[in-house]
Amino acid sequence: MAVKFRDYYEVLGVPRTASADEIKRAYRQLARKHHPDLQPASERARAAERFKEINEANEVLSDPDKRAKYDALGADWKGGMDFTPPPGAPRGPTVTTGDWEDIGDFSDFFASIFGRPTGGTRRGGVRVPVPGNDIEGELPLTLDDVLHGGQRRITLDGRSLDVTIPRGIRDGATLRLAGQGSRGVNGGPPGDVYLHVRLAPHPRYRVVGDDLETDLPLWPWQAVLGADVRVDTPDGPVTLTVPPGTQSGARLRLRGRGLPRGDARGDLYAVVRVVVPTRPSAAEREAYETLRRVASAPADRPATP
Amino acid sequence: MSVTPMPRQAEVYLSLRDLALACGISTTHAALLVRLGLVEPEPDAPDCFSSATALRLRRMLRLRGDLGVNLAGAAIIVDLMERLERLDAELTRLRGQGWT
Repeated sequence: MAVKFRDYYEVLGVPRTASADEIKRAYRQLARKHHPDLQPASERARAAERFKEINEANEVLSDPDKRAKYDALGADWKGGMDFTPPPGAPRGPTVTTGDWEDIGDFSDFFASIFGRPTGGTRRGGVRVPVPGNDIEGELPLTLDDVLHGGQRRITLDGRSLDVTIPRGIRDGATLRLAGQGSRGVNGGPPGDVYLHVRLAPHPRYRVVGDDLETDLPLWPWQAVLGADVRVDTPDGPVTLTVPPGTQSGARLRLRGRGLPRGDARGDLYAVVRVVVPTRPSAAEREAYETLRRVASAPADRPATP
Repeated sequence: MSVTPMPRQAEVYLSLRDLALACGISTTHAALLVRLGLVEPEPDAPDCFSSATALRLRRMLRLRGDLGVNLAGAAIIVDLMERLERLDAELTRLRGQGWT
């Protein structure tokens, strides 16, 4: 099995003559720069790959035995060249398929020189159990998902996951799927998946804590005289009694029609906005003119409700 | 009793014990971190931690293990990273509106 040669000195950016201290310093600087937890979410996957390379290079160059064995390959190799292990090198004692996933953090090139881990024994190869990476993603939800919960199939890093959405989950909350992240290495535990909930804006309802708000446009006469109006709620239409003398901006409460919270639910507020007819009929216009005549408030002053 | 792992029940909140389990530390250790203020429970619920807190603590422990910073330093790093991510998101949003 041909593998690609890895130039560990190039990875750490040190000359082949570098001292142990220089290697340690280079490793620390690079680890700090490329640690996945120090990158923005969009760069994390790429940083994780780089971080693996850096760790692998350090694993070899910081260990005098491994470094000597690596140096014995000669200085003519360049990173990326097809590499065939010299005779006598420890071929993978247990794994023969070349399945990269099975040794996880370290490359096939590493394994071709230092061997693969065998369960329990610690001979030359990878020794430390390494936990798998956490995978983060966004979970876009609709208000309907929040109200009812349910199942959702999502694709994350090319894998398909079925997620149970808890009823009443809020925008910005994080869901944890234990053990669904990247596989661990050498018996290390798998990482988790963390999904950040993003609630898509609803055309009709705004979320305010546990409550919902919806606009309720009313004609002037409905606001003045009161009315029973049909309004939509997430649970279907209901009849809402608008009391006489309702002002623009008034919040009329529909109890228990908001978001689930435990066994209870928040409320739905209908926020009143009085709108005027832009094209009144002749009869309506006449009625408004009558109203102006009989109104006690002067027509040349702003309203003082 | 079924052992089928799918579909996964997503966790939103964890107890102190679950949090410790999620982060590979002992419950005693987790309790100490809470006392030191390095891990914060949900407001008004001393034995309730969000999944976001588990993610945070796992990051802190990785930073300690990989880079040798102590947990107080790791907490600051995680805070700063979260702030940076918020600013990045805000910048992306503003760019979309043609502000830059």
